[in-house]
Amino acid sequence: MVNLELLDFLIESHAQLVAEPVMGNMEDLFVLYKGIYIASGDDSYSLERFVEDIDSIANTSKGSIVFEENRLLSIEKSSHITKYIKLIDVYLLNLLHEQLVPSSRVNRTKNSKTDAVECAPASSSNLMDRLMVALDSAIEIKSDIESRKEKVWNHYLFSKLDELLTTNVGSNILGKERAMHNTPVAEFIPICANTEHSSLLSTLLYIVNNKIVSMQTTKLSKCEAQCPGFKECLLNNIHYVSNLKPQTDLTLGDCSYLDTCHKLSTCRYVHYLQYIPQSLKERVSKESQEMNKIMETKNSKISYYTHGECCSSSFKTLLPPQWICCDVRKFDFRVLGKFSAVIADPAWNIHMNLPYGTCNDIELLELPLDQLQEEGVLFLWVTGRAIELGKESLTNWGYEVVNEIAWIKTNQLSRTIVTGRTGHWLNHSKEHLLVGIKGKPEWINRNIDLDLIVSITRETSRKPDELYGMVERMVGTHARKLEIFGRNHNVRPGWLTIGNQLTGNCIHEMDVQERYDSFLNSASA
Amino acid sequence: MFTDDLYLDSKAGTPPKTKHVSFKPAKKFHSNDYSNNYVHRKSFPQKYVANIENTVEGYPKLKRLLEIKEKQILEYSSKPYGCKIGLDQMVPKLNQWIHKDKINFDIVMIGCLSDNQFIYPLLTQLPLDKLVSKPGFLFIWASVHKINELTRLMNTELWAKKFRRSEELVFIPVDKNSPFYPGLDNDDKALFEKMQWHCWMCITGTVRRSTDGHLIHCNVDTDLCIEKENNRDGAVPSDLYRVAENFSTATRRLHIIPTRTGFEKPVRLRPGWVIMSPDVMLDNFDASDYKKEISKIGTNIPIKAEIENLRPKSPIQKAQ
Ligand SMILES: [Zn+2]
Ligand SMILES: [Zn+2]
Repeated sequence: MVNLELLDFLIESHAQLVAEPVMGNMEDLFVLYKGIYIASGDDSYSLERFVEDIDSIANTSKGSIVFEENRLLSIEKSSHITKYIKLIDVYLLNLLHEQLVPSSRVNRTKNSKTDAVECAPASSSNLMDRLMVALDSAIEIKSDIESRKEKVWNHYLFSKLDELLTTNVGSNILGKERAMHNTPVAEFIPICANTEHSSLLSTLLYIVNNKIVSMQTTKLSKCEAQCPGFKECLLNNIHYVSNLKPQTDLTLGDCSYLDTCHKLSTCRYVHYLQYIPQSLKERVSKESQEMNKIMETKNSKISYYTHGECCSSSFKTLLPPQWICCDVRKFDFRVLGKFSAVIADPAWNIHMNLPYGTCNDIELLELPLDQLQEEGVLFLWVTGRAIELGKESLTNWGYEVVNEIAWIKTNQLSRTIVTGRTGHWLNHSKEHLLVGIKGKPEWINRNIDLDLIVSITRETSRKPDELYGMVERMVGTHARKLEIFGRNHNVRPGWLTIGNQLTGNCIHEMDVQERYDSFLNSASA
Repeated sequence: MFTDDLYLDSKAGTPPKTKHVSFKPAKKFHSNDYSNNYVHRKSFPQKYVANIENTVEGYPKLKRLLEIKEKQILEYSSKPYGCKIGLDQMVPKLNQWIHKDKINFDIVMIGCLSDNQFIYPLLTQLPLDKLVSKPGFLFIWASVHKINELTRLMNTELWAKKFRRSEELVFIPVDKNSPFYPGLDNDDKALFEKMQWHCWMCITGTVRRSTDGHLIHCNVDTDLCIEKENNRDGAVPSDLYRVAENFSTATRRLHIIPTRTGFEKPVRLRPGWVIMSPDVMLDNFDASDYKKEISKIGTNIPIKAEIENLRPKSPIQKAQ
C-alpha cells in the first residue's frame, strides 16, 4: 500500500528534501515528516516503517525516487541506513497520485507543475536542449549547490537516455531465441591453454609418422600426482603437443605453417599434433546429437514467433544441393531466378596471381549482379584494394553497404596469423566480407550473429563455412540462396552454386532447369 | 606396453565400475564452430583466439624484434606532449603550427575508439598535406559506419592522389562490457551486431618496402588488434599507437582526437607523441621546445643492426 500522506509530503516539499541541508538523508526526512503529519507523542510510526513506505512508493512508480548509497551515513548517524534520496521526480509522483486519487486535487497539480520546473532547471527549453545539457554534464565539473542539483537531474536524465539507447528490441530477443532453438548444435570442445599439461602429455604420447598412435597410460597417475586435475582436463579439453623430430630446433620456435607445412621431414621449426581422446569426441558427438534430436521433435510443433519464416517451414524438406558449372562472365543470370541471399567470392586480380582462373576486375564490375534480387542481401568477399572497388560495385548494383564482416583467420593452435609477410605493409590476420542490402526486406532477421567470424584457414582462398549458418539464420533455411564463383566444396543443401570449377550440373528446381535448357539452346543456335 | 587405461567415471548417475573411458587418441582433427557456439551459448568468438595477450606466442624471433624495437622507440622519443583544446579551436591551432611555427609531422593519427567524432569536418578543413610530411603516414580510426562514409571523400581524385589508402586496420573489443564496444554504431540498418572499429592507413609521398628500411619496417605488426585485458584505462588502447610506431621510424608523431571522451575514458599521454584533444590530461605543448627536442633526437630512429637482422624483409631481387 502506498502511504498517501507521505506521497503528499514528497510532492509538496520535494525541492527542499533533496537540497541542502537535508540532502535526502532518510533520518532527517523522517523527523520532518513526523513533525508535520504525525501527532506528537505518537511513537508507533517508526523509522523502519518510514523507510518501507518510501521504498514502496519508489517501487510502485519506478524512477520517481532515485537513491544513492553512502556508507559513511551509517557511521555518522550511528544507524543502519546507508542510502539517501538523490532525486525526486515530482512529475512521476504526481502521476502516481492521479492514479490513486483521480483528479482529486486540481490545485495540487497546478502547484506541482511549477515545482517540476524548479526541479528540472532546463525544462523550459526543448527536449533536445535538455538532452544536450545532460550529455555535457557527464563531463563538466560544477561545484556550487544550484548546479549540483542540476547535475543530479541531468545525471538521471542521462542514465534514462542511456537505458533507452541500450534497450534491445523485442523482435531481436525473440529472433535470437528462435535461432537458438532452430540451429543444430555443433560439436564443441574447449581448448586447454595450460602449457604444463602439454609438456606432461608429450611425455606420454607415442607418435609415429606424425600421428598420435597411443598413450602410455601407466605413467598417467604419476603425472596426475605431479599436476592434479591433469586427467580430468585431458578428458574434457583439446590439447596440443609438440611433434618433435631429430631435426627440430626448439630455439627457432613454431613453424608458420604448422599442420599445413609441406616439409615436415626436414623443417626445423616446431610442429604440433592435436590430442583428443576418442571417448571425449564420442561423448560430445552423442551429446550434440541428442540435443539436436530433442530440437527436431520440438520443432515439429510450429513456433509462436514466425517473423520472416515461410509458413511450411516445420514440415518442408530442404532442397538438396544444386550447382551449375558455367563461365559466370558469359552466363545469363535470368536463368537462375531471384534469391534472398547471394554470396560472391570473386578472384580479384589486384596485386596477385592466384592458381585458379582469375576474373578481371572490370569484367567483375560489369557482371549483371543487379538482376539477382528484388530485395535481399549480398555478401561480397574483398581483399586489399578491392575493398573500395567492392563497395563501389555494390552501390552500382543497387545495394547499400550496411556491414563489414571480419574473418579472423586462425591456425591449428587457434592463434591469429602473425607471420609470413601476408600483406604488403602489415601482415594480414583477417579478411573482409562486405554485406550489402537491397530494398527493404522486412522478413530479414537482424542482429542474430556478430560481424565477426573466428575460423581456421584451409586451402588457399577457401572461406569459412560458418558464413552459411549465419546467412541461413538471417534469411531462413528455406529461402533461395545463391553462391557465385563456388567450387565443389561449396555446394550444400538449400543452396544453388555456380562457377567454372564445379563438376557438371545438378538442378532440382524445374523452372530453373527449363530456363537453363532454353539458354543452352539459344547459345548453341 | 602402450595400453589404454581404464578411467573410472565419477559422474553421478552412472555406476562407476561399468563405464570405462579410454584415453585412446581420436584420429580426426576437430575444429570448433564459434559462430554456432555464440548462438547457443552467447559466448563471443573472439574470446577463443589463443594469442590475444601474447600475440607473438611461439615466435621467439618476432618477440625479440618487438622488444628491441620497443626499447629503441622509447629511447628516441620526445617527452609526452598534450595540447588541451576545444573542438572548434583545433583547426586554427593546427594552422598556426603549420604556418607560424613551421611544424609538421610524419605520423598523424586522427580519431580514437569513440562514436560521434568530428572527423569529416576536420579532414575537409585542414591543410592535411601541409601538416603531414612526405613521406608520411596517416591513420584514421573511427566506427565502421564512419569509415565507410569517409570512403566517398577519400576516393575523390584530389584525396586519392595525395593519400594512398594502404591498409585497413581493425580493432575488436572482447565483449559488450568493454569500454570499446561500439554500441552506438549498431544502427537500425545493421544486419549483424557490430564488434569492430576500423582504421584507414594512408601513405603520402613514396616509400618502397624493399629499399626504404630506414623509413619503414613492414610486416612487423598485423592489421588486427583484439582488446587486451589490461588495456582499458583510457580512450586509446596502446596497440593503436604501437602499430604506427613499429611501422614508421619517424619520431614526429601527432594524434588528434576530434571528440570529447569524458572522465571515464581519459586521454593519456604517450612518450613520442603530441596529443591534441579537449580531454587530454596535460596541456604542455610548446612549439619551440618541441622543435628543439626533435632536432636533438632526429626525425627518424637510426638503423640498428640487430633489428635489421630480425625484421621480415622482402626477398632480395637479384640484379639482372
Ligand atoms: Zn589441460
Ligand atoms: Zn614446418
